[in-house]
Amino acid sequence: MIKRLLSIFRDSPNSFEGQEKEERVVLLLRQHPFTILVSLTFFGLAGLVPIVVGVIFWSYLSVHGWLHLYLFVSSIWFSGLWLAIFHSLTMYTLNTVIITDRRVIDSDQHGLFNRKISELHSHRIQDVSVHTNGIIETFLRFGDVTVQTAGSEKQFVFHQIPQPDRVKNVIMQMARSRDSGVKTVVQ
Amino acid sequence: MSRYVAVSSLPEEELTAVCYLNVIINMSMTFAFPLSIILNILASLIFLVYWIAAFIILYHLTRFGIGVQPKKFAAAFLFGSVVLSGTAIILFMNLNLNSLIPR
Repeated sequence: MIKRLLSIFRDSPNSFEGQEKEERVVLLLRQHPFTILVSLTFFGLAGLVPIVVGVIFWSYLSVHGWLHLYLFVSSIWFSGLWLAIFHSLTMYTLNTVIITDRRVIDSDQHGLFNRKISELHSHRIQDVSVHTNGIIETFLRFGDVTVQTAGSEKQFVFHQIPQPDRVKNVIMQMARSRDSGVKTVVQ
Repeated sequence: MSRYVAVSSLPEEELTAVCYLNVIINMSMTFAFPLSIILNILASLIFLVYWIAAFIILYHLTRFGIGVQPKKFAAAFLFGSVVLSGTAIILFMNLNLNSLIPR
């Protein structure tokens, strides 16, 4: 029972809302972890503020009997930071690109109550290009993947995706296999 | 300022009566809403707001998250939230509110 319960943290079929019958998820993509690192570093520095204040004003706080108040205010500060960190992580996690054997679904989460979902069927894919910009993106191997479509939305851009070349190959393979009837295989 | 002038222009007997009434009102307000109760309500509101925000984040992670990662984040967030809230409650209980109230 417990083993089964814990299995949700290990393996997942990557199922999603609106998934069609026998539709298979080929790739689930999120932005490169480096993109979230900047805000996490900021929150890490903000977490140091009560510690620094405590170290500097420790004797002053203990003389005036404000030690308990300082600890309580610090706990509120850390609780607020905890919320802010997981708000950022939620935004990062919910920004996904799902590539299935039938379509590409781009979910853009701009806020907790602000989401845009775009869908692109494989037969509308015309061209895929990759754009890697700068030294960090080159060394950490992430970049933008642009898919040209025949639909109303002329192009789909997936920002800061890890291993963009591989993603491009998978999308092209998917578009080709749709025409030839051969299933997409991801290595 | 105009109120101050108006009160100070009253005859001495009436002024004493106004001051007396003022003291009674202040005392009754202090008994009705002691500062410690106000601080308790404020702390309760902070916790309420925190857990509403925590619920929204947990709901998004578990309801809309795809794959394993959101579930891991949700579990870590819930665990950390419980620990931090518990710590904050204990620290609030240790707080001597009377020492914070100016006399």
